[in-house]
Amino acid sequence: MSALEAVFRPGSVAVYGASRHPAKLGHVLLRNVLTGGFEGRVVAVNPSREEVLGRRSVDRLGEPVDLALISVPARAVPAAVEDAARAGCRAAIVLSSGFGETGPEGKWVEERMRGLARAAGMRLVGPNCMGVVSRLPGGWFNGSYFWRLPGAAGPVSLVSQSGAFGGMFFAEARRRGLGVARFLSVGNSADVELTEVLEWLADDPATGVVGVFAEGFRDGRRFVAAAERCTARKPVVVLKAGKQAAGARAAASHTGSLAGSHGAARAAFRRAGVIEAVDSDHFFDLLSALAASTVPAGPSLAVLTISGGPGVLAADAAERLGLRLPPPSEATRARIRELAPPFAAGGNPVDLTPQCPPAGFPAAVRAVFEDPAYDGVVVIDCGLDVAELGRGVAEAAAATGKPVTAFVLEAPRVEEALRAAGIPLLPSPERAVAAYRARVAVAPRPDREAG
Amino acid sequence: MAALSEWESKLALGDVPRPRERLTATAAEAVAFARTLGGPVVAKASGPVHKTERGGVRTRLGPEGLASVWEELAALGDGRVLVAEQVEADYELIVGGVRDPQFGPVVSVGLGGVAAELLRDVTFLLAPPRPGELELALAELRCAPLLRGWRGAPPADRAELTRIVAAVSRLLEEDEEVVEVDCNPVMVRGGRPLVVDALVVRR
Repeated sequence: MSALEAVFRPGSVAVYGASRHPAKLGHVLLRNVLTGGFEGRVVAVNPSREEVLGRRSVDRLGEPVDLALISVPARAVPAAVEDAARAGCRAAIVLSSGFGETGPEGKWVEERMRGLARAAGMRLVGPNCMGVVSRLPGGWFNGSYFWRLPGAAGPVSLVSQSGAFGGMFFAEARRRGLGVARFLSVGNSADVELTEVLEWLADDPATGVVGVFAEGFRDGRRFVAAAERCTARKPVVVLKAGKQAAGARAAASHTGSLAGSHGAARAAFRRAGVIEAVDSDHFFDLLSALAASTVPAGPSLAVLTISGGPGVLAADAAERLGLRLPPPSEATRARIRELAPPFAAGGNPVDLTPQCPPAGFPAAVRAVFEDPAYDGVVVIDCGLDVAELGRGVAEAAAATGKPVTAFVLEAPRVEEALRAAGIPLLPSPERAVAAYRARVAVAPRPDREAG
Repeated sequence: MAALSEWESKLALGDVPRPRERLTATAAEAVAFARTLGGPVVAKASGPVHKTERGGVRTRLGPEGLASVWEELAALGDGRVLVAEQVEADYELIVGGVRDPQFGPVVSVGLGGVAAELLRDVTFLLAPPRPGELELALAELRCAPLLRGWRGAPPADRAELTRIVAAVSRLLEEDEEVVEVDCNPVMVRGGRPLVVDALVVRR
């Protein structure tokens, strides 16, 4: 079993710092492991050997488990790491803080712990992190401080240099019904760092889309190689924080002052074929769109709407993002004339208007989906809660297999039909288009080497 | 950090498209060279950094004008004067390179001239660029239509531009001490890019 296999799919776990006091983080951690749905063996480690959450604890591990979760005060961490290493654990996650983030002395302790672990054949995640969450056949393995998990299992995995961003991720996943496979917070990365996790996720069959939250890359070229290998199989979306950081660095040349810190990162992302999100909203939009499907989409788009203004906003966004909006074919226009009112717009946006008879929606929608001029469709519906419209979109999407994203406002029946069909719903017309654009971005590119 | 002179920088870059130019050791040599060019020339002091700000660049000179400023320019720098044919640019680009602390050597192409820092329309590539990558990067520039040939002008010669980018990339890869490279401006005339000034900064 590889170390990251032990982190994400452990058969047995030890919790250092398991405490009786509900306010203590070690208590939260043990409770999370026990209640999340983990089916393997769990050992509570506590120097006072008190009973915690109905189970006896031991003062030292003695026998190996796959993964040690360590949540004890900083000064006690090295001894816990040593105990886990001596017992023969494959990996340890140190959630405790008070190390490299506090200064050179803490950094030195990190180095020492890494040396100690590696000498015993154990890998170290953290310290100063939020832990791991992973979907296993029996349920969630929650080896983290988060007590609210994503609602659904699914293809999205996140590796994050920020623990707190994990909280945002889980909240967004719940709100959007986004299915999650893995989450790991790498903290100070004393040993295991982001790139190594990305390498593991590339091979993980449960992971279909990888999200990366990064503030910096320890070995940029190794990240590029790992990401490139990953994007050959599944999309990688990166949110890079600290874009401005080094922008002010002193430079003798114009190029130096123009580069800032982000010029190189963008070059790296382009080569690796990763999709860069501009902000956190965009990041979660991209993950939602790619979780629905990672089949590459073409750039030729129909904006299908019953809402004039918002449809035009979507068209503006499409143009801004380099998508094409060809008019429907003559055959499609003729079909729409038969089904929708005479003032329905036969351009693009294709506006069927709220006055379209409900019974006409499925066939009209189908005609647009089947029009060979279009690679995909963005659906915009503000407030028209007609079941036939929702059903029409769901059926046409399934029949044609064309990629779809949607913005639906206050039309619960339409929303329900689209959600059931696995169509990503976004919070604005522009974001629906940007999410569609993400599918275009996963299309093979000439600079991409076969993985 | 040590900045190489323009001439040293150009020699370090090697075989890149440049204006016809020569580093002259005497006024007589300069004038003779200028006559062979058969048009107005630029004379540049050799050696000092920020030569433009220090009055070390004179443009649109004929042979007599060149003779009259030669000694003054020579005294500003290392005693020599760089004489080059005057290039009238349709537009200016900047091609450069830096050593990024996380991603290593990267090269850049963008809009140059006075607008470079104002518009910051520059794209970066990991060095060395892969085949096809420059084209993708250039398409990201706001000035991409200019490079494709704006209003009937010829497109920027991609083979020549690729040579300049490759030279910058090679310099960063082969010499660990090189930290920054500027080809600025790269003047484009009739689609043909010429490295008019260059700066290499070593650690």
